[in-house]
Amino acid sequence: MSTILEIRGLGKRFGGLTALQDVSFSVPERGIVGVMGANGAGKTTLFSLIAGNARPSSGDIVLRGRSIVGLRPDQICRLGVARTFQIVKPFPSLTVRENLRTAALFGSAGFRRAADADAANEPLLGDIGLRAVADQPASTLTLSGQKRLEIARAVASGATLVLLDEVMAGLIPTEVARMLETLRHLQASRGLTLLVIEHVMRALMDLCGHIVVLHHGQLIAEGTPQAIANDPRTLGVYFGEAV
Amino acid sequence: MKDLAPNAWWAALWLATLAVLLALPFVANAYLVGVGLSLLMWLALTQSWCVLSKMTGYVSLGHVVFYGLGAYLVVVTWQRIPLALAVPLAGLAAAAFAALVGLPVLRVRGPYFVILTYGLAELVKYSVMAGEAASGTASRILFGTPDLTVVYFMMFGLALAAVALLTWVSRSRFGHGLRSLRENEEAAETLGVPVVRYKLLAFVLSAAIPAMVGAVMALRSTYFVVGQVFDPMISVTVIAMAILGGGDNARGPLLGVLFLGLLSELLWASAPLVYMIVLGVILVVFVLLVPDGLLGLLERRRARAPLA
Repeated sequence: MSTILEIRGLGKRFGGLTALQDVSFSVPERGIVGVMGANGAGKTTLFSLIAGNARPSSGDIVLRGRSIVGLRPDQICRLGVARTFQIVKPFPSLTVRENLRTAALFGSAGFRRAADADAANEPLLGDIGLRAVADQPASTLTLSGQKRLEIARAVASGATLVLLDEVMAGLIPTEVARMLETLRHLQASRGLTLLVIEHVMRALMDLCGHIVVLHHGQLIAEGTPQAIANDPRTLGVYFGEAV
Repeated sequence: MKDLAPNAWWAALWLATLAVLLALPFVANAYLVGVGLSLLMWLALTQSWCVLSKMTGYVSLGHVVFYGLGAYLVVVTWQRIPLALAVPLAGLAAAAFAALVGLPVLRVRGPYFVILTYGLAELVKYSVMAGEAASGTASRILFGTPDLTVVYFMMFGLALAAVALLTWVSRSRFGHGLRSLRENEEAAETLGVPVVRYKLLAFVLSAAIPAMVGAVMALRSTYFVVGQVFDPMISVTVIAMAILGGGDNARGPLLGVLFLGLLSELLWASAPLVYMIVLGVILVVFVLLVPDGLLGLLERRRARAPLA
């Protein structure tokens, strides 16, 4: 499998605080890679750096062989990378359909006309379960609906690499199950590569083929879900060191 | 199908407004033509203001700066370069000015942007005043300006251009990008909207028409006082009309301009002081109770009405 994204020695400092330090891993094309770690481990910072919302202090981010460090978020989006936000950021007074239209018009999908963008988004509305509310303002959606909208917008942009930041946080177990099904379907039917931050461990273990573990900004372990679950370093981070 | 009836109603309102304003100079007396001219002026100013402020949510309290610059440019070049050149030049100069100050100014949002644009307009006003004082000019008088009908039709063209501009922006891909960044700038940028370039372009587009309006109004008044062409009340009135109208397309400002423009004509003549009080009360009521304006009221009523 070829590599779509390569993180090389990535570091980010906010003043005296080191949020990320010398993180390296790679994401295979069409793979689903999980990012694990406690609060403050640097997971969201990692996403912000990849999506261009923040600039790394050191290291490189290579997308399909090309460095994307220094590009603006809109440029990175047009290269086929989209992220969701952990704290959802819908366009509240626009309808769900109009929210998706923005992504299809300005992302790598690159539609020029609103009608074409809407037509292309029609199947997605069904896949993600938002068709019934397509003409409602995004502000009227439930949290679960707004999380779905975040994912739908990222996918509607035409991105091949989608960064999902805790899209299952705050959902009840049945919603989590449905979300997993949706993500698998989207990934398979559209050939997406997913990089997933998640605190719902069962979901992460279930979904991902490969997991990286961050701790205090450093990558401390990576491997298959099974290997990660049995890795003493992971257990140390989550349950404390064995005595 | 359900949109057909309201669309027909809107077409009728546009056509009626157009027909009345077009016929006015041929059938009405000078006073009524003056009223028509002022409606056209507010229409051009408000529609152009909406291109930036309604579309992006960056509320400018300094729209008058372009009006004043346009007026000033025409006045200082009067009888030096032909009018047919001076008016478009005023528009170009204002657009260039917007492009120059836009990048730093559009970095701040919300109330800071409101105050900054107000301050910018005042800064330019006092700079021009100082320049005029240094050169020993207290005010200027224009001789040989074109007559009212010519001025009227120049303004008519500008109002039409402003309506066309806002209509185009509001329906275009560009406009959808502006709306998205108004709703959430970070999300819009992450979804591929080049927010910095778009904001700047909206600012530049909204600057040209008010400058030409200022240029044409200078011909109407035939004299020039800095404090009058840079009067902050012009900016405030534009905002009042836009808020009253509501919406982010050309319909809202049309309603706001017709309503407030005609109301002010009625009240100015009979009770000028009452006008300011009424204006204040209307603004407070609308901001608090009808934040999406007359257009929002109409649309809500339509949504509630049973479909035929």
